[in-house]
Amino acid sequence: MLLAVLAMASSLATALGIVSFSMEKRVAEEVRKYGANLVIIPETARITVGSGGLNFGEISEPAYLEQRRVEEVLAHSGLKAEESFHLRCPLRFRNGDIVAEGVDFVEIRRLFPWWQINGAWPTAGEVVMGSDLAARYGLKTGEMVELAGPDQTVHLRISGTIATGGEEDGLLFLSLPELQQVSGLGGRLSTVRLLVTTEGENLRQKAATLQAHFPGAKVSEVRQIARTSEGLLAKVKLLMVLVTAVVLISAGSSVTGTMSTTVLERSREIGLMKAMGGTRWGVLLIFSAEAALLGLLGGVAGYLLGIAIAQFITKTVFAASSGFSPWFAAVSVGVSLFLALLGSLGPMISVFKLDPVRSLRGE
Amino acid sequence: MAANIIETGGLTRSYGDICALKPLDLLVAEGEWLSVMGHSGSGKSTLLNIMGGLDRPSAGSLRVGTEDLLALTEDGLARFRREYVGIIFQQHHLVPYLSAVENVMLAQYFHSVPDEAEARSALERVGLGHRLQNRPGELSGGEQQRVCIARAIINSPKLLLGDEPTGNLDHKSTLMVMELLKELRAEERFTVIMVTHNQEVAAWGDRTIYLDDGVLVREERNK
Repeated sequence: MLLAVLAMASSLATALGIVSFSMEKRVAEEVRKYGANLVIIPETARITVGSGGLNFGEISEPAYLEQRRVEEVLAHSGLKAEESFHLRCPLRFRNGDIVAEGVDFVEIRRLFPWWQINGAWPTAGEVVMGSDLAARYGLKTGEMVELAGPDQTVHLRISGTIATGGEEDGLLFLSLPELQQVSGLGGRLSTVRLLVTTEGENLRQKAATLQAHFPGAKVSEVRQIARTSEGLLAKVKLLMVLVTAVVLISAGSSVTGTMSTTVLERSREIGLMKAMGGTRWGVLLIFSAEAALLGLLGGVAGYLLGIAIAQFITKTVFAASSGFSPWFAAVSVGVSLFLALLGSLGPMISVFKLDPVRSLRGE
Repeated sequence: MAANIIETGGLTRSYGDICALKPLDLLVAEGEWLSVMGHSGSGKSTLLNIMGGLDRPSAGSLRVGTEDLLALTEDGLARFRREYVGIIFQQHHLVPYLSAVENVMLAQYFHSVPDEAEARSALERVGLGHRLQNRPGELSGGEQQRVCIARAIINSPKLLLGDEPTGNLDHKSTLMVMELLKELRAEERFTVIMVTHNQEVAAWGDRTIYLDDGVLVREERNK
């Protein structure tokens, strides 16, 4: 009975420990599906407009990030992140302007996994058109569009359309170098989106680190996702710690109860040992050694059971393996030993104080 | 004339307001077999427990061999029990999950080092060489008591105490046990103090004392 209690307690502690340990990675993988969690945007320059002493107010002038500078900073920052560079600017189309966004489509497919192209992903000389934009101009996949910048005109083929329900539906997407060339904004970026791995250090700290390198830009968390992932992780970890604590306290009580019953049942045996010349400490050592041995065996059994439970939990929740953590064996045995000895403390005091005459009389 | 192995002077034991043993002066010679008789509550088991170092008197003096028992600490009394005393209980108090030989070795564990060969030899001496691996539940009452005797003598005690050792045995087993004790005493020369309410058993001793309400009321030499 005691062995079963110790094995169950240490197995739950082991399983929750293994799951918690592997959870950061799993949650990061899950959150990755929601896209970037940090964004770098240049501070917009503001110009006062006026003439002859009259002030007509302020207008903002588009500001850009230097691509080379961004690449340098990210390379030296030590940040583990996936990145996506964007340039957004107007191009002339037919008799009006449309907003075009230059991207790296390989990066887009990694960072925006929810994009579904109706058609095909573009290759060189091709574009993806937002569904609203295509509908407005009556354009379809396979048609050619003529786009004009300040000094250049290009003819590109529509490879497909995109409908996300967001602002993408009103934009035209083409390759970043191509847009930089047509628009005359070579080496410029409008935004940088990052999916930072949040293992360990807080995302806010990483944003602050980056901000120091971009004084003319704003580095922001994509708050909802960042908060959700970190907050969720912290809450789940806390839940696991509390559940483990409750389990261990319950197990400890159970150990105490079982050991008390054992001492009661074996009180004559204890009295006999003392009658035969066993000292109080000598008899106490025998029973403590028994408790320690049970703790050891319970810990080993708990470790093996804990691995199985951890595997079940991570497979069910994350559809992934929890991996093999040999050092958790020490945790499991340690927890079980601690429970066995601490839970036995009260009963061991009874063993120490037991009067052999009374116990042999059956009192 | 043999020296006295036990000397008590005004030995008293009280439990609150109840005086189980009133001031008792008693001498027991080395190698003597002393029977202690009396009705229930007369103080005979109390006297035995005090002489065996299992209980402390409330007052008086008690010397066993060279040991002043009142001066001993708890650990000192444990050592005394280990080195001087062997006890045979009415209810045997054998450990149920240990075999006969393991029960005997348990007494060796606290004294020195468990020695299975020695334990086997002790059991053979009491006529249980063929029952070494049997557990107490597989032995008769008489056999269990003989295991108890083997356990009590394994460490060559100077004092063998018996608290109604034949109380639960039939007549035949009682005779067997008493014969065995007589033989062992002749060989080992230990002093025997046996509590009993059975006149026939008491008669096996050299001398019988009678206690009544904690007072020694009579003593007589047995033939």
